[in-house]
Amino acid sequence: MAKINNLNAQRWLEEHGDYLFSYALLRVKDNHLAEDLVQETLLAAMSAQNTFSNQSSVRTWLTGILKHKLIDCFRKQGREVAIAELVDQEEDDSLDRFFKLNGGWVERPAAFPNPETALEQKEFWEIFMRCLSGLKPKQAEVFLAKEIYGMKNEAICKDFMLSPTNIWVLIHRARLSLARCLKTHWLN
Amino acid sequence: MLNCKQASLLASRAMDEKLPFRERMALRLHLWLCRNCTHFTEQLAFLREAARHSKIHLDFYLTDEARQRIARALEDQPPGTDHSEEL
Repeated sequence: MAKINNLNAQRWLEEHGDYLFSYALLRVKDNHLAEDLVQETLLAAMSAQNTFSNQSSVRTWLTGILKHKLIDCFRKQGREVAIAELVDQEEDDSLDRFFKLNGGWVERPAAFPNPETALEQKEFWEIFMRCLSGLKPKQAEVFLAKEIYGMKNEAICKDFMLSPTNIWVLIHRARLSLARCLKTHWLN
Repeated sequence: MLNCKQASLLASRAMDEKLPFRERMALRLHLWLCRNCTHFTEQLAFLREAARHSKIHLDFYLTDEARQRIARALEDQPPGTDHSEEL
């Protein structure tokens, strides 16, 4: 029994380790802490396999365990705001942070000057990381999976129990947030 | 006629799939007339490039050392250890 648990855990490490690490890193911004959290998550998952129902997928289940670990971590550090950000439910559908009632932009999207050179600059990546960390949980999860890990929509649908429409909307919101964040912190 | 909110959503979708003919034409027309949304499509392309390079620049992956360390910790886990109360 222990051997089977162990085999599963090794497979989870291989298939989901990077993703879990990235997600943790977005939240704690510390490589060693993020590594520890991945380890704790997989250890907890090993013993808690009976709580894994087929209602979710492995990645969603592991991410759920990771979130618990993150909450414990923040609680110890007294970071209530970080906890609130982690459990934040998806915002309303209206996108009224970005668009007026008549459908026009609240803030006009700026043209990014010299995009080619931006990616070579350390300052850019620091800001980009910060902007990614500011995404709401579901947006971060899907953006990470799709844009950074290159997962296809079908895989995301399955892993995150989302419809294709959910995915577009979440990605779109993530992009709007990131674009605005970059405009605020990178251009100015 | 599309408004910017609608056009921006279509532009996002167009990053990942070919839009149906009518939407594609409507978006094209809107972009032709709307500089803001044109900038937005440039931002979308930029974000995709940035995301593609993120893994390396943001260390978004476990190092071999970390991976091995975690693998060992998982192996060393004694059978019957119950971590589930921590959940």
